[in-house]
Order: sequence, then structure tokens, then C-alpha cells
Amino acid sequence: MSSFVEILHISTLIMMIVASFLAVFFRKLLPSVVALAVASLLLALEFYILHAPDVAIAEASIGAGLTMAIFIFAIRGTR
Amino acid sequence: MKKIIFGIAFIIFFSFLIVSAINMRTFGEPTFSEMDDYFIENAQSETGANNVVTSIVFDYRGFDTLGEATVLFTAVVGIVALFRGVKK
Amino acid sequence: MKEMSRIVKTVTNFVYGFIVIFGFYIIAHGHLTPGGGFQGGAVVGSAFALLLVSYGSLNSGKFLKKDIFSLFENFGLILFIVLGFSGLGITFFYNFLANSGGWFGDAAVIGVNPGDMNTGGVIPLMNIAVGLEVLSAFGVIVLTMASGAEFTKKKERS
Repeated sequence: MSSFVEILHISTLIMMIVASFLAVFFRKLLPSVVALAVASLLLALEFYILHAPDVAIAEASIGAGLTMAIFIFAIRGTR
Repeated sequence: MKKIIFGIAFIIFFSFLIVSAINMRTFGEPTFSEMDDYFIENAQSETGANNVVTSIVFDYRGFDTLGEATVLFTAVVGIVALFRGVKK
Repeated sequence: MKEMSRIVKTVTNFVYGFIVIFGFYIIAHGHLTPGGGFQGGAVVGSAFALLLVSYGSLNSGKFLKKDIFSLFENFGLILFIVLGFSGLGITFFYNFLANSGGWFGDAAVIGVNPGDMNTGGVIPLMNIAVGLEVLSAFGVIVLTMASGAEFTKKKERS
């Protein structure tokens, strides 16, 4: 059972690093913002696996909701 | 020359971080746990709330939450003052 | 900002009410289940951001008003400070309603149990105050950012 949880931890962290790398690597602005939101959502999943559900709720709603909305406002305003 | 100095300083600082990460305690075993034991034992009977995290945030450390609410209010006041010349 | 396509607007009409009700559930059950005032307010604020992104800032001005949000924010912060000061007979932020038998005053059952709504003392009232404050703070931030982006776009066109 513990080995399954460890595999889940390690795969979540590896996917988070890949999403953060894609957020830097993309040339267009909108896919970069989407990759940043995916990284934040995977961080919320990691908090939930570590038995901290309230931090997971705050991270998912602020990091993946409000920050992405404000970035989309900025991109729409400059183009 | 400046790049070499920055590189040496970066390596020294990074080695400090690596050493402190190796010497860290194992996960889930804090050094002192008297405060945690008190909260887990007495929070449910003193405050009457089942959620111990909320009873710590709003009752034992309520002054901290007041500071957090004040920080959020100050952020909103700053943003409204930054965009004050914008008409619809 | 212009509104988005018809698919996004239909999904928004379907999902918006559920997100708002989930946020108010987290605020009201803050002393029984994980979460609290800040988390529930953030969920409702993200629902406002969803409405503003999908419908555009001109169309959603009918539903979201900045004056009502600023009024609610000041009301929430003043209610929180008044609740903190009203326990001043013993200490600042003293839980004067717990185990007293009045409002939210029943004693909790010790041990692992689903819990009762009528417990917790002053904690549910503080949850509601902080939730109202955070909700309207995020609403004001999103509305102000949207109107600022619209103003910048209009200024570059002319």
C-alpha cells in the first residue's frame, strides 16, 4: 500500500516539473498560461495526497482559477 | 570576473542548502510535540468544534487571522487606487 | 472584452450555480468539515471570475456590481473585529459563546463523530464574516482588473 502511495507522489511531482518546463518553453502566451494552471492543479493534488484538504481547496481555487483569469484579462488587454 | 564571483557565491549558497536538506529530520516526526498534543487533546472540549484546524485558526490564533484579513483589505485598496482613473 | 463562444456560455450557465452553492457550503460548515471562510470565499470568487471571462465585462455588469461588493467587504471586516472585541471581558478573541447553551453553544461529542451544526461557539460567525470579506475582495479585484484591461485596449485603438 505504501509503495503505491510513493509511486503516486513521484509521478505527480514529475508531471509538475514537466508542466512547469512547458510553461517556460511555449512561445505563445495562452498555452503557457494553461500549462501554469496545470502545474498549480497538480500541486493541489499533491497537497490532497499529503492529507491537507483545506490547503488543497485554497490552492486549486486561487492558483488555478483566479490567477489564470487575471492572466487571461492581461493577454486580452494587450492584443 | 563578475561571472566567476557570482558562480562561486552561487555554489557556496547551494552547498549550504544541500547540506541542510541532507541533515533534515525524517518526514512526519517533529522535534517538540507538547503543543500539538495539547491541541489534539483539548480543542474539541474547549471550543466545541470538530475541526481542529479551524478551531486553531479562528480561536487560539485569532489575532493572526485578523492580520490576514487586514492584508487582503489593504491589497484591495491598493488595486482600486491603482486603477482609479479608469471609467468603464 | 468580448464574450466567448456559445459552448462556453452554455457550460457556464450549467456550472455556475453549483460552484456558488459549494462555496457557501464550505463557508457554513467550516467548523465541521475541512475548509473555512477563506477557502469558501476563494471558491465563490473563482465562480465570479468564470462568469466574467465567459460573458465579457460589459454583459456581466448587470449581475456583478462593484459598490455592493465594497459594501459587503467593509461589513465583513467590521463584523469580524466586533466579534473579536466582544470577548474582551476575559481576553481578546475569547470564545465567549462556546459551551454556554445559547447560539451555537451546545457541547460537542468527544471523539470521532460527524458533528452537530449547533456547536462551535463564535467560530461559525467568524467563518461567515471572513467568508463575506474574502468573497467580495476577490470580486472587486477581478472586476477592477477586467475594466483596466478594457480601458488599455480602447486607449491603444484610438
